[in-house]
Amino acid sequence: MSGTLLDVEDLSVHYPMRRGPLQALTGRARRVVRAVDGVSFGLGRGEMVAVVGESGCGKSTTAQAICGMAAPTTGTVRLDGAEITGLSQRRLRPVRRRVQMIYQDPYESLDPLFRVRRTLEEPMLIHGIGGSRAGRAALAEEALERSGLSPARAFLDRYPHELSGGQRQRVSIAAALVLEPDVLLADEPVSMLDVSVRAGVLSLLDTLRRTRDLGILMITHDLSTAAHFADRIIVMYLGRIVEQGPARDVVRAPLHPYTKALLSAVPERDPRKRTAPQVLKGETPDPVDIPSGCRFRPRCPVAGDVCAGTDPSLRPDAGGAGGATAGHQAACLLV
Amino acid sequence: MRSLEYAVRRGIFTVVTVFLAVTLNFFLFRALPGSAVSNLARVPDSSPELQHALTVRFGLDRSEWDQYVLYLKNLLHGDLGVSFTYQRPVSHLLLSDLQNTVLLAGAGTLGAIALGVLSGVVAAWRRSSALDHLNTSLAILTYSFPAQWLGLVLLIVFAGVLPAGGMSDQFLFQSPPFWRHAADVAAHMALPAATLILTAYGGYTLVVRSSMLETLGQDYVLTARAKGLPDRRIVWRHAARNAMLPMVTMVALDLGFVVGGAVLVEVIFSWPGIGMATYTALSQRDYPMVQGCLLILTVSVILLNFLADLLCFRLDRRVTA
Repeated sequence: MSGTLLDVEDLSVHYPMRRGPLQALTGRARRVVRAVDGVSFGLGRGEMVAVVGESGCGKSTTAQAICGMAAPTTGTVRLDGAEITGLSQRRLRPVRRRVQMIYQDPYESLDPLFRVRRTLEEPMLIHGIGGSRAGRAALAEEALERSGLSPARAFLDRYPHELSGGQRQRVSIAAALVLEPDVLLADEPVSMLDVSVRAGVLSLLDTLRRTRDLGILMITHDLSTAAHFADRIIVMYLGRIVEQGPARDVVRAPLHPYTKALLSAVPERDPRKRTAPQVLKGETPDPVDIPSGCRFRPRCPVAGDVCAGTDPSLRPDAGGAGGATAGHQAACLLV
Repeated sequence: MRSLEYAVRRGIFTVVTVFLAVTLNFFLFRALPGSAVSNLARVPDSSPELQHALTVRFGLDRSEWDQYVLYLKNLLHGDLGVSFTYQRPVSHLLLSDLQNTVLLAGAGTLGAIALGVLSGVVAAWRRSSALDHLNTSLAILTYSFPAQWLGLVLLIVFAGVLPAGGMSDQFLFQSPPFWRHAADVAAHMALPAATLILTAYGGYTLVVRSSMLETLGQDYVLTARAKGLPDRRIVWRHAARNAMLPMVTMVALDLGFVVGGAVLVEVIFSWPGIGMATYTALSQRDYPMVQGCLLILTVSVILLNFLADLLCFRLDRRVTA
């Protein structure tokens, strides 16, 4: 993964919790929420990487930290080899042009008082792109057409409430595209959309990365979309990557027991075929009190004594026994 | 086209409401014990003949229904009747009163809005900081002051420094240069306007703050930030604009109220406005005058609400029906 477009190394985002006055007096240590805890991965040009995992596992926080919206506690993020963590607001601006984000809910991510035209022009004004008014309008139209809103003229002067969910999400994508970014962080881009329009938006993202060499980091709940569209899949659990590898390998031959449990919950295509989802016992532990040893241990169906002692790291090309291929790694002592 | 239809429908509602209010005002005061005659006739040696003459003169010998029809007919011609006390047309008397009230209430409301929006936005922006806590507590404190109490306190504290009553200095030259007159009025207005501002701005602060907190948490604010828009611009252009909608309604409702709500403040500071006129007319049972005052008060509330409706419609295209 050398020479990657985006390189995340040992990224952690910890949030200190509020201490009561009594706790402060007794000198009790400040407790921290470890939202993201030592995450490393890379993203290449034209590559789509899917991050999956349940709510609260740190998927979104990772994306926020990459685009400078959340301050990483430790670790670095590099864009084309240049570090972008800890930059000042002013120095961060050119980076922001290159790293764009798409949010989950297209009903909330567009300012209801802005027409489509203004939503698209604002980022250009911030970054001084497009030159004249006419130049910006031309770019806006182009971005809309590219996002599948055609004819673009019909959409420029509409308000968000006059658009459907899918159209709104396409406007969000267009607003990211006008900046000609290199990296697109898509935070559950289709989870709020009707099933019928999901495929359209997803294949739009797929086309973009192929034609424009865009690196896309897609956060999702949905393993089947991840398997279908992504090149690689990263599985996160409690702030850490537990398994990553080529999408096909992760889905066909999962290594980590957590991934296996996730996959068992994906319904079969044939409704007559009964699936037996492997329900994990217990709740996700509090990210304040992360279990010792392997953090998945309390819920793991196969955990043994070894798991209590060591916190497993991602092992490169873990075990030949599982039939693992190159680049397929898991953080499990038993693999 | 849709907006025209909306305006017309709202307009019809407004006319009906005004008519109902006028009717209510008319009968409400006739239901009160005592009358203009009994008030005037308190002078010693008033004979039953005099009382009868006054009753006929004021038209109070006719049935209430006749009085009502006559009142409506005159009203349609813009005739508010003649004041029992001053023997001058009510419309003339109230016109100057209205101007004075609008001046005071306008200054008070604009000041309160400016202060409220500013402190509300700052409080939301610097949420949970010491500045926010101080700001919000202060807003709640002043908002809960009764206007008449705060007015009296200000009067006690500043009576020597600023003029304590009236609208202008009686002993100023007959026709002072404009700027001199303006400065004089401004000085007289300082205390009553401060009372209005201080008792009203807290409400705006709280509304703006909570509405700002809501919009600041929206994804489009995150989007703007992710695209690199500076904080200051995010706060004013995206968050504040979207947060102002509840403000418009509140301001308009309050505007109507302030014209009437200034009654106490006007009485305390002897400000010659509608409130003061209402107070005087009520104690003298001056029916035409009271009716005129209440007409102005109710119509101003209704009209300003109508205006607020239209404004909200302009601002937020999503409002329907």
